[in-house]
Amino acid sequence: MIGNTILPPGLLMILGAWFLPFLSRKAQAIGVLVLSSVSLALFLWTPSGQYGEFEFLGASLNVVRIDSLSRIFGVIFHLAAILSALYALHVRDIRQHIAGLVYAGAAIGACCAGDLITLFVYWELTAISSVFLIWASGTERSYRTGMRYLIIQVGSGVLLLSGVVVQYVTTGSIEFTRFTPAGGTMSLGAMLILLAFGVKCAFPLLHNWLQDSYPEATVTGTVFLSAFTTKLAVYSLARGFPQTEILIWIGCVMTLFPIIYAVIENDLRRVLAYSLNNQLGFMVVGVGIGTELAINGTVAHAFCHIIYKALLFMSVGAVMYRTGTAKATELGGLHKSMPWTAGFCLIGAGAISGFPLLSGFISKSMIISAAGEEHLLWVWLILLVASAGVMEHSGIKIPFFAFFGHDSGKRPKEAPLHMRFAMGIAAFFCVGLGVAYPLLYKWLPHDVDYHPYTVTHVVTQLQLLLFAALAFVFLMKTHLYPPEIRSVNLDTDWIYRRAFPQLIQWGGTAIVMIDGTLRRTAMDTLNWFLRGVERLFSPRGIFGRAWPTGTMTIWATILLALCLVLYYM
Amino acid sequence: MNHSSNSPTDQTPEGDSPSWFERPENINKLIIGLLIACAIVTLADLFYTNPHAHFAIESTFAFQSWFGFVTFVVVVYLGKILRWFVQRDEDYYDR
Repeated sequence: MIGNTILPPGLLMILGAWFLPFLSRKAQAIGVLVLSSVSLALFLWTPSGQYGEFEFLGASLNVVRIDSLSRIFGVIFHLAAILSALYALHVRDIRQHIAGLVYAGAAIGACCAGDLITLFVYWELTAISSVFLIWASGTERSYRTGMRYLIIQVGSGVLLLSGVVVQYVTTGSIEFTRFTPAGGTMSLGAMLILLAFGVKCAFPLLHNWLQDSYPEATVTGTVFLSAFTTKLAVYSLARGFPQTEILIWIGCVMTLFPIIYAVIENDLRRVLAYSLNNQLGFMVVGVGIGTELAINGTVAHAFCHIIYKALLFMSVGAVMYRTGTAKATELGGLHKSMPWTAGFCLIGAGAISGFPLLSGFISKSMIISAAGEEHLLWVWLILLVASAGVMEHSGIKIPFFAFFGHDSGKRPKEAPLHMRFAMGIAAFFCVGLGVAYPLLYKWLPHDVDYHPYTVTHVVTQLQLLLFAALAFVFLMKTHLYPPEIRSVNLDTDWIYRRAFPQLIQWGGTAIVMIDGTLRRTAMDTLNWFLRGVERLFSPRGIFGRAWPTGTMTIWATILLALCLVLYYM
Repeated sequence: MNHSSNSPTDQTPEGDSPSWFERPENINKLIIGLLIACAIVTLADLFYTNPHAHFAIESTFAFQSWFGFVTFVVVVYLGKILRWFVQRDEDYYDR
């Protein structure tokens, strides 16, 4: 079927996962790590090009396309899979191992898909495999959350397929390529596909599956989840919709509203989910601007983001693994007994905030500079606001409330060795990418002529971040900083978790009422009719009583006279 | 803040010696360090000019310093306001 002998990227992981049950429980975890590493080696060895072209029901499929864009996403997805597998080395749950491996493999396959049907297949596979990482928590709550997640993710796939069908009917091609010519209008098929990508990319109002589900997954599952689904969507946007102006504004909204939610959120994993949403906004803005610098910035930011976000989820996950909670109200002072985890968390927090010498600095500044070069003043200002906001929730709030701040009295053991190892590697990458940035820039889709470490960049970025930190100190000292409160904050999921069920309940009540009224009216009418009939035909009724012969004779005479008159007329 | 702990076994009672980060004199040192750093990066504006300024506001003195401070405070206050509208009890969805 496949014209070339090259194995599609990710397939080794997807197929290999099904052999894990034959291994011992300890070897299963190692198996995930080995399969991911072998898959990375194979992927690096596979030359760029198009493989596996064949005809299927009149359409030409192209299962594998490796170019500069899919190459870098394939590499970072592999790295994320390896880091996550290392972090999950203690897990003795075969479901999670299979789910994680198939999920990562499907994401890798998807970013190397050359046609939309192949993309769709992998797209749905990521949805179906990843939900098991949520269900693996084993609680009633995670089951419900997983169901909501699955419906939304599969729904995104259905939108994608509808878009593909419309696209095929109108253009006769299912090639996965740019859908919007510069300045051109968007076709119906392209709109449906954009919407499908938007669901997975957590566009505003379509976003809440992310904050709903990621904090409900297992400690290790969240690390897998944070890497793949949303970045696959960013890849797809970069491939299909560069320079689509509406994405600039969608991205701006995405960078802004999650930071406000993150300020008041108590569950630190949920804070990280909001922060993930905010970082995706930077990438969506980059795709929308769409210049070579902006696309480079988007890809570089996705690359760095996957690593530092995994690091942050790993450190909060380690805290949760040891203490059983990720709530800010119940944590604090953990730096005493978990110094390594605290240190790694600080590196992750510095990287996401964009401190010089760390990875976020060399990628985010590309997107902000791209906005500057296009003279988009408002976009540029919004991205600066968002950068200060990142400093608030991920740079300060996460490490401060978990590891410093008010001492909770908890003295958990340090994270297990393999977790510290995984965090250490991620932290190493955060520093490495920030310092040896040309190594990353070399892999970017377009030629790079960009230097992050100019005096202006470094000084202005430090001004922004240090004064944001100063503002935090000021608010803390004056007791103006809002205290952490055990609470749940309503978001758009309220619409389908509360409003719809309530509406359906009201609707049900209304239907019952209307139905009751109609039935009662019908019965009353029928009863009235029957009573009338009874009155007429009862022994004393007009038709039921015995009439005297004289009356009958008069009536017969009248009728006969009538007939006679009619006959002569 | 009231911290209710649901007590892992490996927990020692509170009251052990405060760590470096908890001693008030060290916290003050950190704050003074931050103030000095803020002053340095702000004054650094006097010693260079931005060769690739795209917007006029970018070249005003210490633009990102005050912008960072104000933005941070505004974001936190917006969060406080948002709480009035969206905050519910923790078991809101479980009821």
